Amino acid sequence: MKEGTERKLIIDGKRLDGRGFEELRPIKIEIGVLKRADGSCYLEVGDNKVIAAVYGPREMHPRHAQDAKMAVIKYRYNMAPFSVDDRKRPGPDRRSVEISKVSREAFDPVIMKEYYPKMAIEVYVEMLQSDAGTRTAGINAASVALADAGIPMTDLVSSIAVGKIDGEVVLDLTGVEDNNGEADMPIAMIARTNTITALQMDGHLTKEEFKRGLKLAMGACHQIYELQRAALIERYSKSEGREEKKRD
Amino acid sequence: MGLEIIADIRKDYVCNLVRGGKREEGRGFREYREISVERDIIKRAEGSARVKIGDTEVLVGVKVELGEPFSDTPDKGVIITNAELVPLASPEFESGPPNENSVQLARVVDRGIRESKAIDLEKLCIEEGEKVWIVFIDVHVLDNDGNLVDAAALGAIAALLDIRIPNERYGLTGENTLPMRDTPVAVTMAEVEGNILVDPNFNEENAATSRLTVISNADGSLSGMQKSGSGGLKEEEVVEMVEIGIEKAREIREKYLSPL
Amino acid sequence: MYKVVVPGDFISEEAERAGEGTYVEDGKVYAMSYGIVEEREEIKVVALSGKYMPAKGDVVIGRIAEISFPFWIVDIASPYEARLHVSEFAEGRDKIEFGSMSRYLDVDDFIVAKVMDVNVLMRIELALKEEFKMSGVGRLVEIPHTKVPRVIGRSGSMIKTLKEKCNCFIFIAKNGRIWIKGSEADMNLASEVILKIVNEAHTSGLTDRVTNFLDSFRRDKEKGEEK
Repeated sequence: MKEGTERKLIIDGKRLDGRGFEELRPIKIEIGVLKRADGSCYLEVGDNKVIAAVYGPREMHPRHAQDAKMAVIKYRYNMAPFSVDDRKRPGPDRRSVEISKVSREAFDPVIMKEYYPKMAIEVYVEMLQSDAGTRTAGINAASVALADAGIPMTDLVSSIAVGKIDGEVVLDLTGVEDNNGEADMPIAMIARTNTITALQMDGHLTKEEFKRGLKLAMGACHQIYELQRAALIERYSKSEGREEKKRD
Repeated sequence: MGLEIIADIRKDYVCNLVRGGKREEGRGFREYREISVERDIIKRAEGSARVKIGDTEVLVGVKVELGEPFSDTPDKGVIITNAELVPLASPEFESGPPNENSVQLARVVDRGIRESKAIDLEKLCIEEGEKVWIVFIDVHVLDNDGNLVDAAALGAIAALLDIRIPNERYGLTGENTLPMRDTPVAVTMAEVEGNILVDPNFNEENAATSRLTVISNADGSLSGMQKSGSGGLKEEEVVEMVEIGIEKAREIREKYLSPL
Repeated sequence: MYKVVVPGDFISEEAERAGEGTYVEDGKVYAMSYGIVEEREEIKVVALSGKYMPAKGDVVIGRIAEISFPFWIVDIASPYEARLHVSEFAEGRDKIEFGSMSRYLDVDDFIVAKVMDVNVLMRIELALKEEFKMSGVGRLVEIPHTKVPRVIGRSGSMIKTLKEKCNCFIFIAKNGRIWIKGSEADMNLASEVILKIVNEAHTSGLTDRVTNFLDSFRRDKEKGEEK
């Protein structure tokens, strides 16, 4: 996170993309988009485009990493080379390794691993186009893909970032805001119980700003949860409507 | 979600169908699955295309960056083609460095673009021996239901058709477009039970003894070929495959590679 | 009408009725699967997707994956492999020796078997059913095990229609593998209809539509033959 620069990010009480401080970017969710995966989800948040696939439970390799009592979760966050302005060299770097770990741990409390001793549940997240908030978009997509794969879970996980730009706490930063802002704080949460399962922060926030930001992010996670749930429910009601039409 | 013939008897199933003159989903031997090409869909890329052939799906992004030329071609730009078989796309793919399949895929795609001279490399030279544009063609496989080569090659040329040269980002002035001089198209055929099947799906690839990819240019000439698989092919089969390949490439070019 | 739920959805206050696909927290029943609520004595969530997990008493179609004396290791279309003890097979015959197991059941043979036991470590023991060996006859197809109840239909109505109108022997195992025996044309028809059922599994009036489809197919065929 850079120190605040001269670039104005808030003009007449509005952000550069016209949003209010507490407003999410538009979100689009599609389920079951990949044939070969056991579960999948394509998700857009503003200019972010992400696709998540779940494989498993299937045999854990290498064998010595198996857990005799429960499944092991693998999570791989990866950026396509063309997803960013400067081409990203293919393969994992320190950033994606860290994001993968934090994201995997966001799901640890909800996945019922004890049902699948010795197995692996594998989550693959590919960023196709990025504009800040990629890890949270990835978690939202992964959550839906896990449900689509039929993995038993106590809950879905929902995720969003808050940040500070031009001295104001705002929701869901864009790339421009992230690069020129003062702080960024992504969280992941279980909406039903208001339990936070991932939290990172970098930049500068006062204690009051942190508290306000956390409340804002938690509120937004509830909104995202409703979208995730609606997309999953819709999937089976929609197919019925289509079939009904075909019969006429 | 569909009906799956169990892996071990799937091969017999495909072969039985072919012997009876049929293919899965009622397809003809010379027929592609449904193709869709969406162009210019990744904002961060200087060119991009998402190609679907049936359930096979590939995203190709082109990035253009400033760099140094190779010493033996000081007045020419550079093409670097890379393919990622990310584990998201198939239960058979694993994380890790490129393996022989991803390297072969990248090289076959590269061959078509390079040998057809679709890209005028001299136009990518800014300062001889010092500064040239490097064109990165990155193939990102999203769903593997067979015939990745044709999808990747089609994605690559489709992405290049809309390529933008990012002069402003480097404080340069110059032409921002780079018209392609050719449109190479790859057509892959598999041999199953002595029959030639165009655009093999995943099951057919596994049942095939060998495959041949034929890359041809707008004028019907060839710019690349690759045989893979453990079986052999007869002279007349190869000749027939080349003829089919050129004809199918012409159809695909007309339908999907016109200017936006 | 059915009710679709996602993991974490509240289903009921009656914790004592909580069944498969649910969990209880603070005396309330929640969904743990993405699925459809089924309320009988128990409240269940029937998953819409997911891998087959064997339960005691299930009848499955398995493939011999490996021979590891004194067991055959069997792939049962589940993440977990099952095993069949040599004694299961050799009852009433001479003892099977190490090295001669493949003479009875070889790798890639298919069998019909019953799940005898599943322990906490997911060790799965099988027993052979009569008429267990299915090599070389008919056709084997695999569908998602979650769609098996639809292919069987309410109290077996769908499978009855299928068998009659397709003129085939059809055996549906719990793990989603289906064994079809009949003429090539009849097996093709049966496979096509099963695919239709799988793709339209969660729509209403499916049994009627399948019946109509099969009737019209037969009518067309008869017409064709008359010509």
